[in-house]
Amino acid sequence: MIKSADVVVIGGGVIGCSTAYNLAKLGAGKVVVLEKSYLASGATGRCGAGMRMQWGTETNCLLARESVKMLSNLAERLDVDVDIEFTQNGYLLLAYGDKMESQFKKNLVLQHSLGIPSRWVSPEEARDIVPFLNTQDMRGATYCAEDGHCNPFKVTEAYAQAAKNLQVEVYTDTEVQGIVAKNGQISAVRTNRGDIQTDTIVNAAGGYAKTVGRMAGIELPIFPERHEILVTEPVEPTMGPMVMSFYHNLYCQQSPHGSFIMGIGHPDEPEGFDIRSTWQFLQDMANRLVSILPPLAGLNVIRQWAGLYDMCPDRTPILGNSPQLERFFTAAGFSGHGFMISPITGQLMAEMILGKPTTFPIQMFDAGRFERGELFVEPSVV
Amino acid sequence: MRITDHPILEFTNKTKVLFVFNGQPIEGVAGEPIAAALHAAGVKVLRHSHAHHRPRGLFCAIGNCSSCLMIVDGIPNVRVCVEPLRAGMSVETQAGKGKII
Repeated sequence: MIKSADVVVIGGGVIGCSTAYNLAKLGAGKVVVLEKSYLASGATGRCGAGMRMQWGTETNCLLARESVKMLSNLAERLDVDVDIEFTQNGYLLLAYGDKMESQFKKNLVLQHSLGIPSRWVSPEEARDIVPFLNTQDMRGATYCAEDGHCNPFKVTEAYAQAAKNLQVEVYTDTEVQGIVAKNGQISAVRTNRGDIQTDTIVNAAGGYAKTVGRMAGIELPIFPERHEILVTEPVEPTMGPMVMSFYHNLYCQQSPHGSFIMGIGHPDEPEGFDIRSTWQFLQDMANRLVSILPPLAGLNVIRQWAGLYDMCPDRTPILGNSPQLERFFTAAGFSGHGFMISPITGQLMAEMILGKPTTFPIQMFDAGRFERGELFVEPSVV
Repeated sequence: MRITDHPILEFTNKTKVLFVFNGQPIEGVAGEPIAAALHAAGVKVLRHSHAHHRPRGLFCAIGNCSSCLMIVDGIPNVRVCVEPLRAGMSVETQAGKGKII
């Protein structure tokens, strides 16, 4: 294994790979990615694979908008031969009750100000988009036709290949066990395969970001939270958009392959690293889904699994340097929407690390914002 | 082709029933897997692969492999190797991945 590097990225998910590629592209020198399992083995490969621009904070809207732009021709941008299965069949966000309706309409104003082509649709119009949608008690929905789907394994693979083409070293099955630092300066990363001398670390460890932070003596307010998900058998194209309901706390989308991928969030899920599946999820998911999309009752479930959201208290990621330790950068805390903003996030992180002006201002997303009380609360998360 | 004499298993209940395969009436034994009845009637091709449209027949025969997905009584993606045969069933060859609506 390599003995020293200019930058060590911890985490071989889509954020780590995207950041590593952008670092190499901008001339960061020798860049290394360390992944304790296989690429996309954590939150990236376990996610719902959706891509949406309909967010409730300006930053998330901007990051998502730019990322969708980049994904539309990612393979050409990265000069790799990988089909990332990018499809734009829209997102339909269902609104129930006064509070949600007014929040969604507020979100639309914000989204329109940033050029995101979302719109309010009545229950009847929603049924034009998904004919079998049960619109009982629904106020309407917001719809953005340019939202969609992407294969998270393929996107990660595309970035990893592009990074390797720029001489980035990607080590899988390589676990970080410690970080050596003295007087506020990093000197090495300790792994199960030996030490790598470096002065710069990117913590892209997702659900394990807090664990990695602690290795450097830094306490990050990021915590892991299990989210369960399942996939059905493939059928002919049946439903265009991702259907999402914050009232039912669920999302469901048919992938290009024909399978349906769906999940729900549990408000009482405790913090922890448990990623076991439960029978309660299967039952709960099926019941809630069938109440709004009745014909999907006919689908056979093929597989269920779970993954860790890297949750931040305000559901907005931490992107930044650490005040306690020089050149210890964190790109984590994505709270369930890291994959869909990964293309631009990797670019911004690389710009920040190399001291270049960032394409969008991101200095306010440092970990220090929690002490300053300057939170960016994202209202639209399952 | 059916096994009539077996050193261990006995086939006592052999109620013959009629079912319909792609519009054709076929005889089978009540309770046996649909795939067994089709096989006995000489039907070896159960579906075609999605990408190259190659014929697919009985493969795992225990409900794991999705080589035998057919439309049974209007329901797509039924694994006929583990679905018991009943009188009057409609069994159809499925084109594509199955339509649920």
